[in-house]
Amino acid sequence: MADPQLETKEEKERQPTLGTKIFRNQLITLIFILLAMVLFLGITTSTFLTATNIFNVLRAFSWIAIAAFGQSMVIIGGGIDLSSGSNMAFCGIVAAALLVAGYSVTLAVVIALVVGAAIGFLNGFMVSRTYLPPFIATLGMMSIIRGFCYGLTNGWPIRGLPQSFLFLGQTDISFLAWKIPLPAIIMVVFAILSFILLEKTKLGYHVYAVGGNEYAASLSGISCGRVKLVVFTLSGLFAGLGGILMTSRLGVAAPTAASGYELDIIAAAVIGGVSLNGGEGSVWGALIGAALMQILRNALVLLGFPAYWQPSAIGAVIIGAVMIDQYRKRRF
Amino acid sequence: MRRGFTWILIVTLLLALVLLGGTASAEKYTFAWIPKALNNPVFELGREGAFQKAKELTEQTPDEVEVLYVGSVASDAAEQARVVEDVVARGVDGIAISCNDPTALIDVINKAVDAGIPVMCFDADSPDSKRFTYLGVSNYDGGKAAADLLIRYMGTEGKVALLTGVPGALNLEERIRGFKDGIKDYPGIEIVTTVACYDDINQGVQVVEETMQAYPDLDGWFFVGIWPLFAGRGSMPLWEEAAKSGRCKTVAFDTLPEELEYLKDGFLVGLVGQKYWGWGYDSIQILYDYIVNEQEFPDWIDSGMDIVTIHNVDAMIEAWNTQDFTKPLPPPFPEE
Repeated sequence: MADPQLETKEEKERQPTLGTKIFRNQLITLIFILLAMVLFLGITTSTFLTATNIFNVLRAFSWIAIAAFGQSMVIIGGGIDLSSGSNMAFCGIVAAALLVAGYSVTLAVVIALVVGAAIGFLNGFMVSRTYLPPFIATLGMMSIIRGFCYGLTNGWPIRGLPQSFLFLGQTDISFLAWKIPLPAIIMVVFAILSFILLEKTKLGYHVYAVGGNEYAASLSGISCGRVKLVVFTLSGLFAGLGGILMTSRLGVAAPTAASGYELDIIAAAVIGGVSLNGGEGSVWGALIGAALMQILRNALVLLGFPAYWQPSAIGAVIIGAVMIDQYRKRRF
Repeated sequence: MRRGFTWILIVTLLLALVLLGGTASAEKYTFAWIPKALNNPVFELGREGAFQKAKELTEQTPDEVEVLYVGSVASDAAEQARVVEDVVARGVDGIAISCNDPTALIDVINKAVDAGIPVMCFDADSPDSKRFTYLGVSNYDGGKAAADLLIRYMGTEGKVALLTGVPGALNLEERIRGFKDGIKDYPGIEIVTTVACYDDINQGVQVVEETMQAYPDLDGWFFVGIWPLFAGRGSMPLWEEAAKSGRCKTVAFDTLPEELEYLKDGFLVGLVGQKYWGWGYDSIQILYDYIVNEQEFPDWIDSGMDIVTIHNVDAMIEAWNTQDFTKPLPPPFPEE
């Protein structure tokens, strides 16, 4: 029965060399790419490796990363959430409108977060109860929410937000010798929370199971519908939080804000190794994916790369990063 | 006898109706006013101007004028073409349109004209179509005016950066071309970089700050549109510090209230703006004169440009507060 040749091959795979181990670990590959970029920019520009710039970059991708954590959970669970960009804009508008109407910061933020989560819940409901494909359900939702953004604001951005709200996005927290932007800290906190949820809880295990093989998961007694409801709700909540942070950083809630950000958010997850087929990936990957894209944008400006060619450079890096990852998977 | 009386009554009434309809010249005109996009606030102001003119015409002339405000939500030529077709199918008496693309709209504009509906363009033209006139500014001249403003405040030497929206957008490219021609004669002025924000406030704020880091000794900025200025105070600390201290002079396009505040507080030195309100107010008058009074119009009507500096910013703020843009703006440089 047992094929001796096969056995020896398995035997070999059980004792990988250190090099193979490193290459097998996707995170380490990503970190290498990241470090290479940082090193290159540190050498070629005098401005990249300054505390101001690093923290600017951290803040700039924090909301994309936070939304990407939720997105990663959805994608790992076998779905996709196209409504996250619109959701970001809408939650920002809800919070801003409430603040302008005189509500307290806490109340406005909490209500906006609930709205974000409710939108995510609706997505989850459509996917799990009416069996709409996630692509269609969230594509429709993306448009519906964007319409609400325009409709409620008549196309005008909402301004004049109180200083106590701008604190969320504009303040820096002193930590050792640095002043770290609050959104970046919130991002790290949510990365840890998402990590614990995905890797250390039964629910997280179920998310991977549903995304890996929904049929097998349901046979083994996992309630797939409930898992989907939870991940979509979380995705909505995280996108909402990202939108609120972005709004408070800019001090304005525009109905056109975050247009097309869903693609950045999905790209961050995918660059970070989250498989679009589901069942595979991690939030740390999504975090690094978001970082890679923002560092690239930052680099193009610092290096004086012509603006007209920047989209091409970003596209090439997205493809390149995923290609390296695919090569790694096949080879090792 | 009774029946005969009823008949006479009916016939009299009918005659009276026909006579009334024939003698009174009260006509109802519906003009479609189509912006580039519904999600761009400057068109809201144009719409107000259009409604204002319609109200005035209805009050001051025997006719009744109604404005139909329709458009695609986002700037999209294909969507806009569909909107024009819908408006033609619905039946209107005239169309004023700001074209998302000069070529893409030719076909539908010509179809409307062939169907007997006169079309004019405002803000963005489609010169090869059968539209009867274009009300707008030359973006090229606007760019030149911006260069002139910057030189007045910055001097004839310095490092300048440009912020644009979507690279390739015709109006923005024209402004940049005008700006570059405006500084051509001053070899001391160097454009060190051009950055793009893809019409996104967040990205605009980000690239301005990054540019301030890359070129800490920057002397001037030309914001080809308002984008980063929509963000609140404190969102661009590096730029704000440089601008407020007077080290870096910034000139921007458009004259929206957000920018006027920035100018009044000393962050901006000058603004070059189109007359958004006039886009609506004047175009409805032109359509009315063309159709009702059969007035002839030249191929291009210059709508003029507002130049705002610290000397006349208050008048502009006043105009916004009262929504009355009919008064001419005081000169930007009164000493001349």
